[in-house]
Amino acid sequence: MDTQLAWLCLIFPLIGVLLTPILARISTQVMNFGAVFFSFLTAVMAVMMLPLLFSVERLPLESTFVWLHTPIQVSFGVLLDPLSIIVANVVAVISFFIMVYCVGYMKGDPGIMRFWMLMNAFIGSMLLLVLANNLIIIFIGWKLVGLCSYGLIGFYYRDEKQYWIGGPAPYKFDVPSACGVKAFIVTSVGDMLMLGGILIIYFYAGTFNVLELYQTAPEWIPTMAATPGMIILVSILLIAGPVGKSAQFPLHEWLPEAMSGPGPVSALIHAATMVKSGVFLIARFIPIFYYGYWMGGVEEAMYFFIIVAWIGAITAFLAASQGLVATELKKILAFSTVSQIGFMMLALGVAGFAQDILVKGYMAGTFHLISHAVFKACLFLCAGTVIHAAHSIYITDMGAMRKYLPYTWIFMGLATLSLIGVPPLPGFWSKEAVLMVTLESHHYALFTIAVVTVVFTAFYSTRYFAMMFHGRASVHINKETRKPHHHVGEGYFPQTFACGALAVGIVVLGLFGPMVEHSLYGLFNYKLVEGLGLSTVTHVPDFSTLLVVAFSVGGVLIGVVPAYLLYYSRTWDANAIYENSRIVRMVHTFLWNRWYINSFYNLVFVSGFMAIARAVAFRIEVLVDGLIQRILPAGVYGLSRFSVWFDQKGIDGVLDGTAHHVQNSAGGTLSRVQSGKIQEYLALAVIIALIISGLVWLI
Amino acid sequence: MMPSTILLQIIFVPALAALLILLFRFQLGKKSGWLAVLSLVYTMVLLLMALFHIHGGDPIQENYQILQNPDISVTLIADGLSIAVALICNLLCLALGTYSIKYIYHRIEVLYPETLGNKGETSYYACFFYLFLFFPVGFMGVSFASDLVLMYFFLEVLTLFLFFLMAYFGYYERVWVAVMCLIWGIFSALFFLAAVAIIYSQTGSFQFDQIHTMAGDPLAFWVILLALIGFIAKLAIVPLHVWMPWVHAEHPTCIAGLLAVYANIAAYIVVRMLILPLWDDFQVFGPPIMILAVITMIYGSLLTLAQTDMKRIPACSTISQSAYSMLGIGALTAASIEGGLFFFLSHIMGKTVFFSTCGIVVYMTHIRNLKYLGGLGAKMPITAILFLCGGLMLAGIPPFSSFAAEVVMFAGIFERGDTLGLVVGIIGLMAILLTISYAVHFTRKIFFGPLPEKLAKNNHIKDPPWSMLAPLILIILVSAFLGLYPTLVMELFEPVISAAVANM
Repeated sequence: MDTQLAWLCLIFPLIGVLLTPILARISTQVMNFGAVFFSFLTAVMAVMMLPLLFSVERLPLESTFVWLHTPIQVSFGVLLDPLSIIVANVVAVISFFIMVYCVGYMKGDPGIMRFWMLMNAFIGSMLLLVLANNLIIIFIGWKLVGLCSYGLIGFYYRDEKQYWIGGPAPYKFDVPSACGVKAFIVTSVGDMLMLGGILIIYFYAGTFNVLELYQTAPEWIPTMAATPGMIILVSILLIAGPVGKSAQFPLHEWLPEAMSGPGPVSALIHAATMVKSGVFLIARFIPIFYYGYWMGGVEEAMYFFIIVAWIGAITAFLAASQGLVATELKKILAFSTVSQIGFMMLALGVAGFAQDILVKGYMAGTFHLISHAVFKACLFLCAGTVIHAAHSIYITDMGAMRKYLPYTWIFMGLATLSLIGVPPLPGFWSKEAVLMVTLESHHYALFTIAVVTVVFTAFYSTRYFAMMFHGRASVHINKETRKPHHHVGEGYFPQTFACGALAVGIVVLGLFGPMVEHSLYGLFNYKLVEGLGLSTVTHVPDFSTLLVVAFSVGGVLIGVVPAYLLYYSRTWDANAIYENSRIVRMVHTFLWNRWYINSFYNLVFVSGFMAIARAVAFRIEVLVDGLIQRILPAGVYGLSRFSVWFDQKGIDGVLDGTAHHVQNSAGGTLSRVQSGKIQEYLALAVIIALIISGLVWLI
Repeated sequence: MMPSTILLQIIFVPALAALLILLFRFQLGKKSGWLAVLSLVYTMVLLLMALFHIHGGDPIQENYQILQNPDISVTLIADGLSIAVALICNLLCLALGTYSIKYIYHRIEVLYPETLGNKGETSYYACFFYLFLFFPVGFMGVSFASDLVLMYFFLEVLTLFLFFLMAYFGYYERVWVAVMCLIWGIFSALFFLAAVAIIYSQTGSFQFDQIHTMAGDPLAFWVILLALIGFIAKLAIVPLHVWMPWVHAEHPTCIAGLLAVYANIAAYIVVRMLILPLWDDFQVFGPPIMILAVITMIYGSLLTLAQTDMKRIPACSTISQSAYSMLGIGALTAASIEGGLFFFLSHIMGKTVFFSTCGIVVYMTHIRNLKYLGGLGAKMPITAILFLCGGLMLAGIPPFSSFAAEVVMFAGIFERGDTLGLVVGIIGLMAILLTISYAVHFTRKIFFGPLPEKLAKNNHIKDPPWSMLAPLILIILVSAFLGLYPTLVMELFEPVISAAVANM
């Protein structure tokens, strides 16, 4: 029965996709209801799987059909283990609330049928990714979520001006259709590399099945390790996929532009679920590489953890720093998402650094995934409402909006506090777990980067919240509110309801935070140590929890206080500081231009590849084409002209000339022999006969 | 109950229909297109019957004695490999035949306006269909031929009728391009013929099942080399690819998908004629083929990215895509060969959709230059989805069959276990990225963004009639079905390729 629930999780969204166009023929209301209803059913199925977590000894459960048995074996199936059940619940439940929000947000949109179809397709694909039992089926889900993301980022494909992001003028704007293309191509870079990694693993392991990969690791990992560098290569290839999908450095540049999609899309795909799939997959790979290093004695396997941890830390810092200066609300949240996923990667990376922190790191990464999904979804939904109300994507065009959107202020406030890491909200607990495990790994450089990122997070979160809801109203807001029947206010009821529900979720998760943390630890301890038999040692904390809390809360204060003074109380004048300090201006320009990474990629990859393509098409191809299609035939034609000349002058010349000479010269001379005189003929005959006889006699 | 002459009927029923169309063109009038389609529906039914039979485990063999003295007979064989190829080719012929019923008016209208409304129009209309029907004849013949002479004959049938179709119904430089295509076709055929001559000199037979007797013979090297040169030209592998952009760009779009088959079917012949019988002798050619294929994949994709002509986009893409299957075949493992051939089938389906939607855009807008296109998704939403699906089918995105093919093929390439397999495999996967790039890039250029004023004002621009859309949707559904259930194709290939390779 339990695996049937997983199958139903996949089937209901699919039915939703197929029924949407049919329901649309009845009425838009019915279609809206139908689309949300199927996501509700999916969420119910997911929640019904939760009791399994309380009888963990029954896990893992698998249900499989053969997809391909020759020449390679791939089964299509679902796998229920603590990780997949937890992530599936995060996806399905948050999706449902976001779908409810969409009923209000997308009201009256002419492309709503396409929207519902893509959203349900996304939910189904995401659950396929999470619940699949083998790497190829995970990859299918992986590509399908990418495809839905592409369709939803470019949802406003006509590129009307109100949907442009970037700017403000004179800075460059980006149109939705281009953003969709960018996201799809950048994430595909990682996807293709990861497919390579999966197929190489298959060559050594002979299976794509996740559980079989874990179980047979003692056989295939030593074989793979026999080729020097192979484990490192496979690590890099496998990490490339999550790096692309979870927008980690160096493939992080697509996510800020992905904000051109509708607000709830950003909440669902680019905050709560799809971008977490990279974290999920790294968690899936951890037992393999952990076994390789700690039990198989393969030194190279440690590179997997080192790469993941450093990518996480660098990304967390880099993205948070970019969030400090951004003025587009959704982009700030996007930078924040990238940064927070960096935290999750960091936790999962350091999990493999020592035997005593495996379960703690695994738990911290997953816990942060859960808590971030809830509060970031809430943040994005609130942001959607606020942007809709303010008619502007820039926080500089907002200000003092608290009175217009009181509920949204509360919900977004709670979510922001959680993002900052204020106790007792879930962001605090999960971030503290990440910091704790990083410190316990004794990699102080990573820990320092993480703490600095906490400071940045507190700063940019306070900044955007203060600029949106507090201080003085901007010129733009004043203009908007002076309009008769202005829309500066709360959105439709479904919007407020969904934000409220998620805010309640934040509070509940926060209140039960330590309990959730403890339960997750127990679950993963069972899964990794007892289920998979990974050898660990009992963790003896080297550092006091209070120390980490001090770092965490201290970091928050260091970030919040200046932001409060600059943007809330306005005691400090941000503009004056900017104008008076050259260094601040330089740093600002550097961060505003996103460390120039985007420009660099555009120059090298977009312009560079197009230049190469043009060189191929208009230089090399023209040359080769000219050589083969023009010069070669011209050469053949030249040969034929020579042949004609030879025919006319050579062959014809010899034959005709000979005939001519025979006719005119030899003919005339010889004709004298034909004199008509019998006696001369006779004499000639005798002479010739004598000559021939003489010759015969001589020979 | 399966007819005893099923293979013969599959080959000759379209030819018979062509003859009927030729003889009764004025009586049939506009119905000649439907007669052609009907004949292909009939062969489709026969092929499905044959498929069920072969899937059960037995190949079909038919022998026809032509002369008793000297003893000349023709044998047709359908096994798992050939039935899969024949079925997909026939499906595409059926789809494009249906698509052409409306489309070809557009060509006649443009090329022969003086005939409109009189007998000349009917004549040209019928002319297209009786020429068109020789494509299925050729493809089925190539699929079921059991000897080299028959194979050569059917390859020449394809070349010849392609020449006439292009010269009559192509675009601007159609006659020049038709001649060029014919010359390239003959170029390939001559190399093929030279290889056939050597095989005959050594084995005394033209039969495929006798080629293996010259395995290990030093001349086998030359047989493979000569045949490969011919096939590389046919497959448009760099540097013998230059004919492809011209030919694809200038012929009527409704046969474009078939032109991709015409080129790519060489991959099937390579496996049948060279790899399976001469396995050991072929090994030395594997690495160069892989390297050439991967160069072509990248070169073709870059060439595609820079195109500004609607019709040259899929043309250049074919160069890259044909090389995918050669990459798999060159890797010489059972999985890579099966994956390569599955990719060939997936590619021709994807290319048919991709090319035909380009044709729809040209048909509706009369514009080929991308510079003047954009935002058409608003006016042609179904066409936009079909175009994107075509692109994704080429790029190997699930759920389309090309994804399953790619997985099997690259698993096979890595299965080589050597550095070459590893490097070429990873580069090959990255080359797919270029396909993904041009698929989404051109979708955006043509269908997304604001609609140019000239197009916005044109009220005639809309999705084309269903007779043009439905066949393409059918192909997409078949591709998705095979993507979800790849076992069907792989089970057909298994006894022919995996079993044979396992015994090598």
